[in-house]
Amino acid sequence: MQPITKINLSTQKIESISIPDEWVRDYLGGASLGARILYDLLTEDLDPFSPEAPLLFIGGPLTGTLGPAVGRFVVCGKSPATGLWAESNCGGFWGPELRFAGYDGLMVIGKSDSPCYLKIFDGEISVQPAEKLWGLDTYEIQRRIKEEVNQPKARVLAIGPAGENKVLFSGIFCDHGRAAGRTGLGAVMGSKMLKAIVVKGSGKAPLEQPENFNNIRSLSNRFLKDDVYTKVFHDLGTASAADYSDYLGIMPKKYYSQGSFDEVGKISGSKISETILVGTKACHGCVIACGRVVDLGDGNHRKGPEYETIVGLGPNILNSDLNSIVKLGELCDLFGLDTISMGNILGLAYKMYAEGIITKQDTGGLDLSWGQTDGAMELISMVAARKGIGNIIAEGAKKFAKAFGIEEEAVQVNGLEVPYHDPRGASGMGLVYATSPRGACHNKSDYFFVDWGQTDEMIGIEYYSRQGGMEKSANVARHQNFRTVFDALVLCLFANIPGEMIVDLIKFSMGREYSIKELLSSGERAFNLKRCINIRLGLKRATEKLPKALLNPLEDGGAAGYEIPFEKMIDAYYDSRFWDKATGIPTKSKLEELKMQDIVRDFYPI
Amino acid sequence: MKPKFPSPEWLNALCEKLNNDEKYSVIAAKWEGDMTIVVEPGGELKEPLYYYLDLWHGKCRKVAILKSQDEEKPAFILTSNFDNISQIMSGKLDPMQAMLTRKLKVQGSMAVIMRSVPTVLDFVRCAREVSDENS
Repeated sequence: MQPITKINLSTQKIESISIPDEWVRDYLGGASLGARILYDLLTEDLDPFSPEAPLLFIGGPLTGTLGPAVGRFVVCGKSPATGLWAESNCGGFWGPELRFAGYDGLMVIGKSDSPCYLKIFDGEISVQPAEKLWGLDTYEIQRRIKEEVNQPKARVLAIGPAGENKVLFSGIFCDHGRAAGRTGLGAVMGSKMLKAIVVKGSGKAPLEQPENFNNIRSLSNRFLKDDVYTKVFHDLGTASAADYSDYLGIMPKKYYSQGSFDEVGKISGSKISETILVGTKACHGCVIACGRVVDLGDGNHRKGPEYETIVGLGPNILNSDLNSIVKLGELCDLFGLDTISMGNILGLAYKMYAEGIITKQDTGGLDLSWGQTDGAMELISMVAARKGIGNIIAEGAKKFAKAFGIEEEAVQVNGLEVPYHDPRGASGMGLVYATSPRGACHNKSDYFFVDWGQTDEMIGIEYYSRQGGMEKSANVARHQNFRTVFDALVLCLFANIPGEMIVDLIKFSMGREYSIKELLSSGERAFNLKRCINIRLGLKRATEKLPKALLNPLEDGGAAGYEIPFEKMIDAYYDSRFWDKATGIPTKSKLEELKMQDIVRDFYPI
Repeated sequence: MKPKFPSPEWLNALCEKLNNDEKYSVIAAKWEGDMTIVVEPGGELKEPLYYYLDLWHGKCRKVAILKSQDEEKPAFILTSNFDNISQIMSGKLDPMQAMLTRKLKVQGSMAVIMRSVPTVLDFVRCAREVSDENS
């Protein structure tokens, strides 16, 4: 393993962090190892915007290799949006480049007196002034820093104006609009006055058995290339899911209140591919290339929208104009905003406007009628700048709704806005949202695909009716454990390869042998560790619930009439997890079974 | 008595069903594209089978059993082995699950397929309804 380095922006002191070997054995890398590294540092009284707050950028044992879809890294810390564990992983090329430069991770603490960026070139780290770069958008900053360091092939990770202004759903961006979008870590970076991190390395991602790894990575890439998932994501992008999600009633509309919207066909991945698509973009070494490049007729090549962006800025506000979705998504990217949360809060604002809870007096004259997008365009700018009503919206859906006395109307869990996979159409997502370690999230388990039918005999993921109940709770937990392994490696969720190939990729990259059962235990261990972090940060069982909107049956569409039996499902889920039903704390026997003795002592002192 | 899958009788029965099923004619009204179903050997099937169907605007214009896959150049090719496709036809395996778990391979425009999932699923319903349960 390569070093994980800590830099204090207050003192500019740089030191290496010592990682016990058993942590690597038990947690592999990525978000799992990150959780173990940060476990002692994340306390309930820690202000995420204080100099003491850590921000950890970390890869996994597969990051930057030529394995299948392994261009990812993860950013970890304490979320200013939720007050809980924060992790957000990101594709592109920055994570691999950090490993090429000789580091498996970088922890930033402290706070700079003035705007700065970090320069990491082949083991050399320096702090550079960024006063003149402060305020630039997430694309321009990349261009300017590459120019400044005279290295066009360097990779730049940066925040936009939203992160500088500490918008609680601002992300960290690189390359062609790749984002660590969720949990507001861009705001943490902004609070440290850290505009960007530029990396360039001439090394390679370390491999324990290069020849064997080369064979298995070649095999797994060929396997992945032949997969129907890959073909769909390559041809249509992640927005390929739009048509079927709509058909099943999984795609939310009109801020989660409407089951059908006749115009979904105008904005789906299929439509994009047949109209505005002019190219694709891949992350490091990826055979899928799910990224879209589109042209709206003005000759400019832009990033095409992903599924979440399509829905959040489309049917969520009853907008079926594809061009406006592309432009709204682009604006979010430029400012450095998470499109999932921004879309969610836009939907909330439109609902409040329609119900007269907010008026043009509140919006500064903006028309937020359903389907209108000019107002959305302006509102996004106001949020990024924290101007007018944008200042309260910048605090997230929960606080925005609370400010107007309707907190229960915000579609969020534990302070994180719900993405666009409605549990009324795929009930497993109800548990996923409620129990995700970072608030409502569809990536800690993309269980909607299991509810579609993506089973896995080798891993033990079975199929249950997509509108089933408590019988699938243990299956959801197992899938979360499996996906936690992906977040450790860091492997893209679209790397649809057999478990035994993952075992071999780990064996030949890390030089450590795991059975599939041991890998799932590693995932379960990390999931429970993040749970323990959150319990110490104040997470309560009472807050693990679905928002009111998702508990009301839809009247129309593919999920009409279904009422999710959430309480029964979560009780069964707690049973399967061996978590105490009253407190939500993992039982002593479960922590001991997972060989987490160091954590047991904190929760069950002798 | 329903014909057993796979057989020439089954293919003809499916064509007739598609041409007379009111629900299918509505759902598939915009479908344009022929397809070959490739049944790979497995179980009792020793040689591959190639069933060709010309589907157009909710109707089945033609079916044929091909001697080789190259005889037609259809818009879509669905490939599965005998055991898996038999399970789909008997209702034991969901077609989307089959596709997501590599038990059913689809070649052709993914844009058309993803936009037409309801049509594909209703095609499978019709196929199931003409198939002997013990197929």
